[in-house]
Amino acid sequence: MKRLMTRENAIRWAPLLVLIGLMILFTAINPAFLSQRNFARIAIAAAPALMVAIGVTFIIVMGSIDLSMEGTVGLTAVLFCFVFLATGGTLAAGAWVAVPVILLAGALIGLVNGLVHVKLRIPSFMASLAIGFVGTGAAVLITGGDIVKIDDDTFRALLTWRIAGFPLMVYVVIVMALIAWFIQSHTTLGRNFYAVGGGEELAHASGLNVRRVRILGFVLAGVFYAVAGILQVAKLGQAESVSGANFMFISITSVVVGGVALWGGIGGIWNTVVGVLIVNVINNGMVVIGLPDYLQDGMLGLLVIVAVVLSTDRRSISFVK
Amino acid sequence: MDLQRLKPHFPWITLLVLVAFVGITDPNFLKPANLLSLAGDIVPLFIMALGLTFAIYIGGIDLSAQSMANMITVVASVYLASLGLWVAALCIVLGFGLGLLSGFITTRLFVPSFISTLAVGGVCFSVAQWLSGNRALNMDADQRDALFGWMIGRTGIIPNELFIAAALLAICLFIERRTTLGRALKAVGAGELAAAASGLNVTRYKMLAFAISGALAAIAGLLFSVKLSGGAPTIANGFLLPAIVAVLVGGTPLTGGVGGVLNTAIGTMIVAVIRASMLYFGVQATQQQMVFGLVLIVAIALTIDRSKLRTVK
Repeated sequence: MKRLMTRENAIRWAPLLVLIGLMILFTAINPAFLSQRNFARIAIAAAPALMVAIGVTFIIVMGSIDLSMEGTVGLTAVLFCFVFLATGGTLAAGAWVAVPVILLAGALIGLVNGLVHVKLRIPSFMASLAIGFVGTGAAVLITGGDIVKIDDDTFRALLTWRIAGFPLMVYVVIVMALIAWFIQSHTTLGRNFYAVGGGEELAHASGLNVRRVRILGFVLAGVFYAVAGILQVAKLGQAESVSGANFMFISITSVVVGGVALWGGIGGIWNTVVGVLIVNVINNGMVVIGLPDYLQDGMLGLLVIVAVVLSTDRRSISFVK
Repeated sequence: MDLQRLKPHFPWITLLVLVAFVGITDPNFLKPANLLSLAGDIVPLFIMALGLTFAIYIGGIDLSAQSMANMITVVASVYLASLGLWVAALCIVLGFGLGLLSGFITTRLFVPSFISTLAVGGVCFSVAQWLSGNRALNMDADQRDALFGWMIGRTGIIPNELFIAAALLAICLFIERRTTLGRALKAVGAGELAAAASGLNVTRYKMLAFAISGALAAIAGLLFSVKLSGGAPTIANGFLLPAIVAVLVGGTPLTGGVGGVLNTAIGTMIVAVIRASMLYFGVQATQQQMVFGLVLIVAIALTIDRSKLRTVK
């Protein structure tokens, strides 16, 4: 019993307790929070964000960071619309081809990201930030600043077709989260992410090809960003260069709030799921209890700082940049 | 003459080559009037880049600069009527204070600077939305001209912005070259652990670096809002990328310790010439972000000091 309050246990369970506490708090202030309709609303808002957050989780577990998500999501969303329209404009007419094509495009963007970071030896936060700018720029270039619309009832079923009150995209996200969990805990690649994050030099010394693992991590993240891009189109029925706006801040906050340490090696997919739910419950709850929505970015800012401070073992580091 | 000894001279050689290149393509480009107005237009960006130089010089980064400038345009527009000239002081104090906060979070709470400044940027965005009610605000034109008109007029053919830029550059150069603070920042950038071990109060100097960055971002925002005679929570979006590019192509590497504010002046000119040349070569404004993103990658790859990074995370 003495070991119950260890650091590991606190990191594992504290986010879940915070989530439950928040839900009780918001319900107490306004009982309308605790309704199936509202939960569906939270789930829809959280779905693309969760895909982005899961993607970046792999990177953060390695001790790196990826800031390219806004560009990647925007570009894949725009590309998806174009491929979708070019191949028929409806799923029935063969536009389903767009899905694998865009997943591949996401992987490709991730590959470029990883190659720039690893081959040119540029710190990942700056390499990915630059790639993100290039992605947004490419999306602006392709669209000329316009909005691209998709009007296909079968594809929009992701949002409109509901099972047990939740739209289809929520189940897609659950399946993707399970796949991510499988990769994390049952594949060599998943284990290798932790090896790199836990101690890069040790991993290297034991014969691991660290650079390959890093690049593959970015490729994997790119695929998940592409899924987010597709879901974003399904949610809004349209795409533009700013379709990925705000995902950077929200996803990194979510991952860190869920208990994945920025230093790498600690936490995983389930932490991220809880973190995304915390952030979205707060965003939704603030509206439900009548707080203005402009407080949200400031709130996220405070949240991410508190989360990093709480997850940092202050005795083990001497300085940060 | 090996490559390493040539490296510090890259920025101004690049600038000369670019200017010559564009000048040959279009001789009108080299007319003093054109060059001066080009330089005048880039001043808000230059001031922001000047501030960023301090954050990057110590090996950190300030991703809040753009949100800070956004917020200040709103603050300046809202409080110009009631505070008059004092609104300038309010803006600078606000920028300095929030920069200090970023520095505190980075150094005392051990939150990496790219996260802490992103978070402070989020706070700035919230404040800007709250103050402006999410609308674009206008300044009272007469009052702006009476109080801040001197910022944007012309003396002869020289835009007044250039005098502001020169004054700020001189102050920053003085801080960098002639004060204890400047020496300390160099020490921190060159090797933080060694600086701490030799008894330097590293925490205080790093906080000051972020505070200077915040104050200069605020001045950039103030000048920008005076130029546009108004403010909005997203009006300065698009500043961050070229500002970072200006610092890096100027020759201050992401790892810090070398380069400085004079380099940033050259870097900003390079950015201005690249922008102008894109117009001449028919590159659409929509493509600029992509080009600058690629320039950023090249600039980092060329300048970064890899001997300081044992593992590249």
